[in-house]
Amino acid sequence: MCLGIPAKIVAIENDYFGRVDYLGTKIRVNLSLLDQVQVGDWVIIHAGFAITRLKEEEAQETLNLLREIATGEKTDL
Amino acid sequence: MEELRQEEITSALLKTIKKKIKTIGRRVRIMEVCGTHTMTVYRYGLKNLLEEAGVELLSGPGCPVCITPDEYHEIVIDLLTKRDKMIVATFGDMTRVPTSRGSLQTAVPAPSSFLKIVYSPIEALQLAQNYPDYEIVLFGAGFETTIPSLAFTIKEAQARSLRNFSLLAACWLIPPPLRAILESGEVGLDGFLYPGHVSAIIGSAPYRFIAEEFKIAGAITGFEPNDILLGIIATLDQIINGIPEVAIEYCRAVSVEGNPKALALMAEVFEVKDAFWRGLGFIPQSGLTLKNQFEEFDTLKRFSLNLIPSKKSFNPACRCGEVLRGLIQPTQCSLYERLCRPESPYGPCMVSFEGACLIYYKFGQRGKS
Ligand code: SF4
Repeated sequence: MCLGIPAKIVAIENDYFGRVDYLGTKIRVNLSLLDQVQVGDWVIIHAGFAITRLKEEEAQETLNLLREIATGEKTDL
Repeated sequence: MEELRQEEITSALLKTIKKKIKTIGRRVRIMEVCGTHTMTVYRYGLKNLLEEAGVELLSGPGCPVCITPDEYHEIVIDLLTKRDKMIVATFGDMTRVPTSRGSLQTAVPAPSSFLKIVYSPIEALQLAQNYPDYEIVLFGAGFETTIPSLAFTIKEAQARSLRNFSLLAACWLIPPPLRAILESGEVGLDGFLYPGHVSAIIGSAPYRFIAEEFKIAGAITGFEPNDILLGIIATLDQIINGIPEVAIEYCRAVSVEGNPKALALMAEVFEVKDAFWRGLGFIPQSGLTLKNQFEEFDTLKRFSLNLIPSKKSFNPACRCGEVLRGLIQPTQCSLYERLCRPESPYGPCMVSFEGACLIYYKFGQRGKS
């Protein structure tokens, strides 16, 4: 089950494990599927593993695209 | 991230979709492959809004609990009920799938055996260490999102020299059933919304054949309502331009090449095999089995068992197979709601949170407007 809710890395324990803040709860997750995870990174958790890192720049791009469409539709009227 | 949910933006996106449908000049049918997408579509009332805009969304085979056939369950139910000192560890949803032998949850374990629900496969390793004189069978079902965690678990079992641990791998690859659905021609599709987190692992390349060979449009998309709508817009644009591709609309989490570390781990531990899917039947090169160097951790080899397609289904009237192929809506099943409900499921699609029947039951009748 992948809800796709982002979690923020709050601590790195060792090569394999770290802690994330997931909706306000601190949970222990396995970080071995990602390279060079750092405290402060946003990740997606699935079955106790961080499976991908969320890229801020790209997230911003999507938001810009959404804003563009929203403004476009407004001026269209 | 809040903005991804803004309703104002949602209605602007829907307007854009309407216009594009007008340009295309007909209704468009898109399959959302992932159960979590199905959830977003219903939870936020997008299903009806899109219907009005001219886009029909169909749910696909994107629920690992739903497509794992009964024979896997029967094997673990047998192990649990007939063998002493057996611990079957699995994800919660898997324990409630009804088969002709009951479900893992209703099965009565042998006197010293028990069932353990785990959230992460690595918990099974801890069980193996805590219960050295028990056999631990991890019944691991999943797509490419889950498979790397199973691969990690197997490598750890080897590193820790565990002698009482094995995996019954119900591991499924997403691109092959999409080919099977297209080749069968049962359902006319104009596009796919590809699963966001399977794609975070495999990237976009494995879907390319869909655009190139079948000329079907599609986009990898995220799980917010506006993510889904962006994915649909990208798909419609491809239809308008006549250039199908695999767009990545979830670029904050997905790259073209996927997650190389996870892919390498999967390839190190598993090899691809032909497999039977519930509802879809035999699909070449669609499943995974442990490689020879890990065979001591293979439940089937460890207990000399074979996966023989189950003849008896718990309820032949259950139409999960057709639901999973996008052929019918859950409400078209005669058992839906009357007999089959979340508290008394007749098929896996009513069990799993990613199952179309359960999602429909919970959110189906609810439009947002
Ligand atoms: S409603 Fe129940 S019985 Fe019918 S297809 Fe869905 S899960 Fe199967």
